[in-house]
Amino acid sequence: MRQVIVGNHAVSWGARLARVEVISAYPITPQTQVVEKLSEMCANGTLAARFIKVESEHSAMAACVGASAAGARAFTATSSHGLVFMHEMLHWAAGGRHPIVMANVNRALGPGWNIWTDQNDSLSQRDTGWVQLYCETNQEVLDTAIQAFKLAEAVDLPVMLVLDAFYLSHTAEPVDIPDQEMVDRFLPPRTARLKLDVNEPRAFGALVRPDSYMEMRWLQQEAMREVPHVLERIEADWLRMFGRRYGAIEGYRTEDAELLLVTSGTVTSTARFVVDRRRDEGEAIGLVKVKMFRPFPTAGLRRLLAGVARVAVLDRNVSPGHGGIFAEETRSALYDLPSGDRPEVYGYVLGLGGRDVTPSVIDEVIDRTRQCAQPEREDVWVGVNP
Amino acid sequence: MPCGARSSRGRPVSSRSAGRATRRGIPPVSVSGTSTLVTHTGSWKYIWPVYHDRVAPCNRGCPVGIDIEGYLNLMREDRVADARRLLLAENPMPAVTGRVCHHPCESACNRGMFDAAVSIHAVERMLGDLALQEPLSDSVAPRRDERVAVVGSGPAGLSCAYHLSRFGYHVTVFEAASAPGGMLRQGIPEYRLPRAILDGEIERIRALGVEMRCGVRVGADLPWERVLADFDALFVASGAHASRALGVEGEDGTGVRPGLAFLREVNAGARPSVGRRVVVVGGGNTAMDCARSALRLGASVTVLYRRTRAEMPAIADEVEEADREGVAFAFLAAPVGFHVVHGTLRAVECERMALGEPDASGRRRPESTGERFTLLADTVLTAIGESPDLDALPPDLARRDSGVRVDPLGRTSRAAVFAGGDVTEAPRTVADALGAGKRAAVGIDRQLRARPREPRDADDLEALRFGGGNISALRWLGRDPVARVAPVNEVVTFEELNLNHFVKVARRRDTHARPERARATFDEVNRGLTREEAEEEARRCLNCGVCTHCDVCLIFCPDLAISRNGDGAYRIALDYCKGCGVCVAECPRGAIVMTREGP
Repeated sequence: MRQVIVGNHAVSWGARLARVEVISAYPITPQTQVVEKLSEMCANGTLAARFIKVESEHSAMAACVGASAAGARAFTATSSHGLVFMHEMLHWAAGGRHPIVMANVNRALGPGWNIWTDQNDSLSQRDTGWVQLYCETNQEVLDTAIQAFKLAEAVDLPVMLVLDAFYLSHTAEPVDIPDQEMVDRFLPPRTARLKLDVNEPRAFGALVRPDSYMEMRWLQQEAMREVPHVLERIEADWLRMFGRRYGAIEGYRTEDAELLLVTSGTVTSTARFVVDRRRDEGEAIGLVKVKMFRPFPTAGLRRLLAGVARVAVLDRNVSPGHGGIFAEETRSALYDLPSGDRPEVYGYVLGLGGRDVTPSVIDEVIDRTRQCAQPEREDVWVGVNP
Repeated sequence: MPCGARSSRGRPVSSRSAGRATRRGIPPVSVSGTSTLVTHTGSWKYIWPVYHDRVAPCNRGCPVGIDIEGYLNLMREDRVADARRLLLAENPMPAVTGRVCHHPCESACNRGMFDAAVSIHAVERMLGDLALQEPLSDSVAPRRDERVAVVGSGPAGLSCAYHLSRFGYHVTVFEAASAPGGMLRQGIPEYRLPRAILDGEIERIRALGVEMRCGVRVGADLPWERVLADFDALFVASGAHASRALGVEGEDGTGVRPGLAFLREVNAGARPSVGRRVVVVGGGNTAMDCARSALRLGASVTVLYRRTRAEMPAIADEVEEADREGVAFAFLAAPVGFHVVHGTLRAVECERMALGEPDASGRRRPESTGERFTLLADTVLTAIGESPDLDALPPDLARRDSGVRVDPLGRTSRAAVFAGGDVTEAPRTVADALGAGKRAAVGIDRQLRARPREPRDADDLEALRFGGGNISALRWLGRDPVARVAPVNEVVTFEELNLNHFVKVARRRDTHARPERARATFDEVNRGLTREEAEEEARRCLNCGVCTHCDVCLIFCPDLAISRNGDGAYRIALDYCKGCGVCVAECPRGAIVMTREGP
């Protein structure tokens, strides 16, 4: 069934088709539509889930942790300050190995108060132990929402589905909504490996002494390491059943490229347009879309970028005092390539707080990368008027 | 760490202890070996919660001293018969007060600040009517030998007789009129208080064994000293029957008469001629009763009051009903003379007043303006207040201008003589009279048993009061039937309630006869609520300060430290209560408090 829907509703549809059992959420712009639609679905009986209203995002995640511990398929959605307010509970979800799925609509953090898109909210949760998947289109949002549950439940890790504020959240696109029956075959009901049992009461998340804590973190790391392989299998199934595939990382027109852009989120679509134009003009240029930020797709990135002369990383985020976060991670992934294969990595910070990243902005990035023989010591801020 | 340990997959380098741990099979999540019962979080606390029932503001506000919250709670539990018993234990005449009381309980009701006060009077009235239709057999205390005389059968006298009788005494009530009831019968018109209701409630008192001797005016027909000799104690509740004079020339002349005399005549069934135009002077309940009674005799009626509507002492509902029925009001006006032509009253000369500074009563004082106007009138009824006839009282009783001086238990300056109601300085309401009668009954019982419960009177009395309100007969008997964990005599304020647990529900309005029909007869105007409506209305009670076993504390306790005993009461497992206070904060009705001392 094809429908023209906004990205927020694509999330809602994904959660509905995944037959989530517990939703706990607190409203925040630009996410609110996600849970509004879900509460409608609960109210009109099209979704048999328990919708828990709470007084804060911290409690929303706490309720999801409780639900997940009890064996339920739990979901929430948030954005920006809501996400960072959840921070403590994100650790509880991940450390407790609860396969919760959350949609985060990327929105800049205040102050100054800003409701437009920016990746700093989700990237500042980098080390909480959540899988992070950045989407480019509303179709990808819906598909990823369903896949996220399968992935999360396979490795017992929580998954954060990320989409840009307004460019996706409030922009309507044609989206193919899969049949429930097919989705049910793809994603059977959750069978929790470990869950609360009133007949055998135990506490989860109990005290762990130094002689075991590290082992638990190691097991978490092992699970993270499984994610790319599991995601690949999941995507293969999805491709077979629904005819679509995205990849944790995607190379676009990378053949014989001298310059590759590294992008994430909706900037990717704009960059594809610029790459196509420049390819038509004869430039050896392509792009690499990073969908999965955690675990970081080091192997895939090395495979695609090795031997390319120059790489320009477009960061709609910044780690103050350092630089663009994707650029840092990319450099780190490429650092120990043999020097002949290792590209020069040019970092660009742009589009913060929802500033438009238009084709001409990307042209400027490409031109600058071509002109400069060496990257600057610090990542370049594009379009700043000091 | 050897260099070779770093592989492409970043395998861990095992120290010995970690290696052992891994081989033991560390689970991915830390899971306790047993339930959390082993964790005695109770050791963290330095303060902890105690269930601590307190007093609802309605109970304190009631001059009769009724456990209003208690009977509303019994209604909520569908224990209607128990609710009636609890009500009747404190108030001998609920069908009367449900109709004519000014219900200060409702003004005090915390719910008034949430949406609208509980319609307590309507619930009381329904229970009172039910008790008349289906009497319950109630046991009374064993009979005693002492005899008590009660002079006056108004609400104070009847209340005293009722409670004394329930305490086990032989009581004889002397009434000067031909039928008991005092001002209830003589002053309050039938459209407010049908005689069948009044008769029914008096009959119930008589059925307890109270002897009623009507047509006997003590002091005139029977000497006071004789009564004092024949009885062990005497309660004087002879009321205030003398209408205050206006102090205007001509008020004793044709067409001008005391409102109370007029009411007495109408209430006895007479239909005196009042002409076409009646002017009533005054702003109290007697004035309203005169005005609406005159209306029912076919007159057009104007109430003359020297202040404004806001200062009127009459019950607001009465004023509103008078207004609806077509009584006219001339505010800020006082009579200064009467126009009599050929022996017939034609008009009242009036003066415009203005409000000045507040007087002793807190109301703004009316002041002359010198401006005059004339109102046509065939009859003027004066209703500016009543005084007791102090000359008719037993000698040697200390008194002030407005009445006999009594202490809180009704004791006068003379041994074995008690007094209460309008003959004292108390507020002149039915509820205050009923309350005074009960206090005197307790005072008489206490004196006759010669067994003060506590060395100091004040302490003794405070323990019997509802949070400083009137005393409870059941507490006096030591038979408070509502299980209370720890009755504490402090009133719960609105701010102490957790309103998140309550939803707004409209107050149910009494049914009234249509004004155009009401003004044509002496039939009862206010029809009250049906039983079903009253039962619903009772459920609006917030049960301020009193545990209703709603389980909110149990649900919210983060340590699951609260459980219910078999009898429904809560138990706090102090091994697990860590003293966080969530139960106190969440309790909808302020019935739990934090304490350093514990239970």
